[in-house]
Amino acid sequence: MEHYDVIVIGAGHAGLESANICEKYGLKTALISKNYSDLGKLSCNPSIGGVGKTHIASEVDILGGVICKIGDKSAIHYRVLNLSKGPAVWGVRAQIDRDLYAKNVQKYIKSSKIELIEDEAINILQTNKKIIGVECLYAGKIRSKVVILTTGTFLNGKIYFGNEVKEAGRIGNSSSKKLARFINKNFKTMRLKTGTPPRIYTQSIDYDILDPQPSENYGIFLSYFTKQNTNKNINCYITKTNNKTHKIIRDNLDKSAMYSGIIKSQGVRYCPSIEDKVTKFGDRNGHNIFLEPEGLNSDLVYPNGISNSLDKKIQLKFLRSIKGLEKCEVDQFGYAVEYDSVDPRELKNNFETKKIENFFLAGQINGTTGYEEAAGQGIYAGIHAVIKMKKVKFDNKVFERDNSYIGVLVDDLTKLGVTEPYRMFTSRAENRLKLRTDNSYERFAININRKIFNKTDYNLIYKNIDNEKKIISKLESLKYSPNDLMKKKIKVKKDGKIRNGFEVLKFLDPTTNNFKKFFNITINQKLLTKIYFDSKYEVFYERERKSYDQLNKNKKMNLTNIDFNKIPSLSREILEKLNKYKPVNLHDAGKISGITPSALFQIIKHKRNKGTKVA
Amino acid sequence: MFNTGTIYSNFTPLVKSPVIGYRISGEDVLLILKKLTKRNFSEEHSIMKLVELHNIDGTILDKCNVVYFKSPNSFTGEDVCEIFIHGSPLIASQLEQLFKDFNISGLRLAQKGEFSFRSVLNNKYSLKQAKAINLIINNESFSSLEYNKKILFEGDPVSGLAPLREDIVNLFSEITASIDFVDDEEFNFKKIIKKARDFFNNCNKLLHKNRTKIEQKNICKIMLIGPVNVGKSTLFNKIIDKDRAIVTEIKGTTRDILSNQIIDDGKKFEIFDTAGQRSKQGRIEKFGYKKAQKLSKEIDHFFVLKDKNTNKADLKQLFKDFYINKNFTMLETKSDQFSYNSKNIKINHNLNREDLFKRINLSSIYKRYIAHKNHKLEFNSSEIEFLERILEYESDILNERDILIIAQLMRNILDDFSYEFGYINNEDVYDRVFSNFCIGK
Ligand SMILES: Cc1cc2nc3c(=O)[nH]c(=O)nc-3n(C[C@H](O)[C@H](O)[C@H](O)COP(=O)(O)OP(=O)(O)OC[C@H]3O[C@@H](n4cnc5c(N)ncnc54)[C@H](O)[C@@H]3O)c2cc1C
Ligand SMILES: Nc1nc2c(ncn2[C@@H]2O[C@H](COP(=O)(O)OP(=O)(O)OP(=O)(O)O)[C@@H](O)[C@H]2O)c(=O)[nH]1
Ligand SMILES: [Mg+2]
Repeated sequence: MEHYDVIVIGAGHAGLESANICEKYGLKTALISKNYSDLGKLSCNPSIGGVGKTHIASEVDILGGVICKIGDKSAIHYRVLNLSKGPAVWGVRAQIDRDLYAKNVQKYIKSSKIELIEDEAINILQTNKKIIGVECLYAGKIRSKVVILTTGTFLNGKIYFGNEVKEAGRIGNSSSKKLARFINKNFKTMRLKTGTPPRIYTQSIDYDILDPQPSENYGIFLSYFTKQNTNKNINCYITKTNNKTHKIIRDNLDKSAMYSGIIKSQGVRYCPSIEDKVTKFGDRNGHNIFLEPEGLNSDLVYPNGISNSLDKKIQLKFLRSIKGLEKCEVDQFGYAVEYDSVDPRELKNNFETKKIENFFLAGQINGTTGYEEAAGQGIYAGIHAVIKMKKVKFDNKVFERDNSYIGVLVDDLTKLGVTEPYRMFTSRAENRLKLRTDNSYERFAININRKIFNKTDYNLIYKNIDNEKKIISKLESLKYSPNDLMKKKIKVKKDGKIRNGFEVLKFLDPTTNNFKKFFNITINQKLLTKIYFDSKYEVFYERERKSYDQLNKNKKMNLTNIDFNKIPSLSREILEKLNKYKPVNLHDAGKISGITPSALFQIIKHKRNKGTKVA
Repeated sequence: MFNTGTIYSNFTPLVKSPVIGYRISGEDVLLILKKLTKRNFSEEHSIMKLVELHNIDGTILDKCNVVYFKSPNSFTGEDVCEIFIHGSPLIASQLEQLFKDFNISGLRLAQKGEFSFRSVLNNKYSLKQAKAINLIINNESFSSLEYNKKILFEGDPVSGLAPLREDIVNLFSEITASIDFVDDEEFNFKKIIKKARDFFNNCNKLLHKNRTKIEQKNICKIMLIGPVNVGKSTLFNKIIDKDRAIVTEIKGTTRDILSNQIIDDGKKFEIFDTAGQRSKQGRIEKFGYKKAQKLSKEIDHFFVLKDKNTNKADLKQLFKDFYINKNFTMLETKSDQFSYNSKNIKINHNLNREDLFKRINLSSIYKRYIAHKNHKLEFNSSEIEFLERILEYESDILNERDILIIAQLMRNILDDFSYEFGYINNEDVYDRVFSNFCIGK
C-alpha cells in the first residue's frame, strides 16, 4: 500500500494550493480528484480577482501559490477596480479563458512531484482520533499521515432548476454522498446554497447594439511575478435587464427553486439571484449584466448578474427580453446548488479539526465562497500541515488578522463561524490601510523561502526589496525645515520640525518626474506609488502599532475581578462567552472563539475608565 | 467585580441625625429579618412595620421602622429590606456587628454602586437609568436633575443620540459599499462628504444647544439696561444689597460691566449692571457698552429701565443693540420724582428692598427661565462629552480626500458609538449595505 505524508482530496482551488505547497516544502503528496478533467475547473464565473479577492490571492501568490500565476497565464481581459482610490483597495480582476486555465493547471501538476489519483474518496481512515489514510472507491485504502479535505460543494450536493432537482456537486459532477456520511457523523455541519447563471452561445448575441467594455491593461497583474500578459485580450459587453424582464420573473417566482420554498438553506446576500434583485430592488429600471466570454476559442458567454434557479423555459423567456439577447440560445441553464458544509468552529486555528488529529479542511467546505477564498485556505492548511509534519519554522505572526487577509479569514471563520457563505471584503479588515496587494511581499518577507520559489522569482523579490531599502534610506537622509519646504511651494505647519524625505513624500504629487525633480532620485512608478502611500498612511500604521503593542502589553491584564456585564459595547454573544469561560487574563480572552480584537480593546478601555463610568 | 451574596449598606450618612437607613438586598433578606425581629415578613410586602431589633443574646438593639419588598418588586429586583434605626452611629455600628455575628455565608457589605448594578442586572433599570441615578446623586444642575429624573421614572427613553447612531451606521455602510462594491452601484464621493458634513452639523447643533445650557448651571442671568442716568446702578446696588456700583448724577458713570450673584428664595441669580446708552459715548464707555451687547446673548432676562426723559428713539436703539426678545421687564424709574400713567412697573430709590422685590418678582422670572431650559435640555453631561469626542474627528474627515482614511476615522467613531450605545459590528454594517444597495452579481 502506498504511503504518503499528505493526501489532498479534491482538486479545486483549495486542493491545488494545498497539494502544491506541501509538495514544494518536500512532503510526499497525493492529490485525489474524481475526474482528471476537474483539475483547475472554474465552477462558476470565468474570472479571478476583484476587491477583497485579489487581496487574498496576492497573499497566496507570495506564499508560493499558483492561482495568480496561472491566472495571469490564462487571462484574456483585465480591469482594475477602485483605481481612483488608494492601492489598499485596488482590485485587479482578470477574465480567464476556462480551457486555458484548466490546461495550465494540468500541465503544472504533471510537471510537479504531486501524484494524481483519479478516484473518489469515500471514507477517512483514523485510529484513536488520528489520521491514518483515505479509502477510495477503486484504489481502496491509501495510507497517509495527513489528510486535507477540499471537496467544495460536493457533500450531499443537490442542484435545482425550478422544480427539477438532481444530486450533483455541480453540473456534470456527481455529489459525494459516502464521504458526506463520514463528515456528518463526526462534525457539526450546515446546509448552504449558491447559484450560477445560464451560459449563452456567443453567436446568438447581437453585440452590435451593446456597449463594449475593453480590457484595461495597466501593467497591474494578479501575480507579483508576472511581467506581461501575451494572450490576445478581448472585450466584455454590458447589457441590462428591463421592466419586461422583471415582470416575467415576478410572474414566475413560483417556478424558482429558491422562491417556491424547495430550497431552505442560507444563500449569500452579496451574490443575489436575479429573483432576489427583482423582489428587493423592484423599483430599479434595470440591473446590469456583464457578458463575459468564457475563452478565446469558446463559443460560450457567461452573463454575470443573472444567477437564478428558475424553470428552464422561464429562463429562456426572460433572457430573450433583454437587449442584445433577443435571439439568444442557451447551452447550459442557470441553477442553484445546495450542499453540506462544516461549521468552521470545528477547526483549530491551524485549520486542523479539533476532533481528529492531522485532518485538515479547506475551501468551500468550511462555509466560504469564491476561488480566492478557497485558495487562501488551501495554502494555509497546506502550510500548517507542513509545519506539523516537518516542524519547519514559519512565522505565524503574518497570519494574525492585523497582518493579512488570510489571517482575517481564518480568524473570522474559526472564531465567529458563518451564517451564510463567507466572502472576503476589504472592510472586514480593521487594518485595511496596511493590508495592501502592493506590499504583500513585505508583509510576508520573513517567510519567503528559497525552497518555494524558483531562482528568478526569488531574485526578483530580493532585488526589489534591496532597491526599496536603498531609496528609503536615501530619502531618510534628506532633511527639510518648514522654510525649505515653503520655498519649494509645499505647505506644512510652521512647527520648526525638521522632516526627512520620506515624511515629505506624502505632500508631493506622486509622479516619477516630480520625485526626480524634488529628491534627485530615480524611481519606477510602481515603487513610488507604494512608498508614497506608506508615507501617507504612516500615522495610521503608527497608531495601529501602538494599539497592537497595547494588546500585547496587556496580555497579562487580570480579568478575574472584572464584570463583563458592565461593558455596554460587548455584544450579547461575546458577553455570554466571557461569562461562560471566565478568562483569567486578556490573553486567554483572546483565545476564546468569537472574541474579536475590538472586544479586547473595549475591555482594556473599560478597565482603564472604571470608576469614571456609571454606578 | 461584583459577586452574588446578600449585601447591605447604609444609605444615609453615618452621622448623628434623626434616622439612619440601612438597605439589605439578596436571597437571605427574610432570614436576616427573622433573626433580627423574630417575625416572618414574607407576607408583608411594602408595609412599614414598627418592630424591635434583637441582639443575639435576646437584648434589644433598637425599636424602629422596617419595610420589606418582595422580589421582584423591589429596587434591585431581589428581596430587599430597609431598616430605619435611630440616628446614632453607635447603634449603626452595633447593627453591622450583628450582621457579622449572624454568620450567614455570602452576607457582606455592599460595594459602591452595587445596588444599582443589581437593579440593572435584573432589568429593573437600564444602564442608562443607573447612570441617571448616579448623576442625580452627584446632581450637577437643576435642569439636568430633571432630565435624569425623567430617565429614572419614565424608563429608558431612546437616547436623543440614537438617531445619530442610525446616521453613522448608514453613512459608514455607504462608505463601505463605495469601496468594496464599486462595481455594483454608482457612488459619489461628493455626496458622501456632504452626508458626513450633515452628520457633523447635526452633532454640532445638538451639542451647542445643550452644552451652553448645562454650563450655565441653574443660575438665572438678569441684565439691567437702559439710557444713561436712569438709575440702573442704583437698582443694581439695591438688588444685590451692597454698594458696589458708583452712583452719580453724571451721565455715563458706569462704564464696565459689573456683576453679582444673589440667592433669593433658594434660587440663584446673577445680576449685571451695564453702561448706559446714549448717542455720544466716550471711548471707554463705548467699549463697555459693546461688551454688554455681546454678553447679552447669554442673558436669560432683561430689566429695561427708562424714566420721563427717555425718548422713543433711544429706546428703539436699545432694543436693536441687545439680543433681546420677549424676555424683558420694563421698569419706570424715579417714580418719586416723576408720575407715569403706563402699566409698567414703577420703582424708585426710596422703596425698601422687600417692596422692590415684590414689584420686580424675581421668582416668576426664574420659573419662566427654568421652563425654557428644561424644554431644551435633551442630554446629560456624559452624552455631551460623547458628542464632543465625536466632533474631534470633524475637520480631519471633512478635509480628507482619501476615502480610505475617511473610512478608517469613521470606524473610530463607530467604535465610540459601540462603546456608548451598544455593539455595532461588521455584520450590522453589511446588513445595511445589502438592504440599501443592490450588491453582487
Ligand atoms: C454552481 C456554483 C456557483 C458558484 N457561484 C459562485 C459565485 O457566484 N461567486 C463566487 O465567488 N463563487 C461561486 N462559487 C464558488 C466557487 O466556485 C467555489 O467557492 C470554489 O471553487 C471552491 O473551491 P474549492 O476548492 O473549495 O472546491 P471546488 O472548486 O468545488 O472543488 C472541489 C473538488 O473536489 C473534488 N471532489 C469532491 N468530492 C470528492 C471526492 N469524494 N473524492 C475526490 N474528489 C472529490 C471535485 O471533483 C472538485 O474537483 C460557485 C460554485 C458553484 C458550484
Ligand atoms: N429722585 C430719584 N433719583 C434717582 C433715583 N434713582 C437714581 N436717581 C439718581 O439718578 C442719578 C443717576 O443714577 P445712576 O444709578 O447712577 O444711574 P445710571 O443709570 O446707572 O447712570 P449711568 O451709569 O450714567 O448710565 C443719580 O444722581 C441718582 O441719585 C430715584 O429713584 N429717584
Ligand atoms: Mg450706572
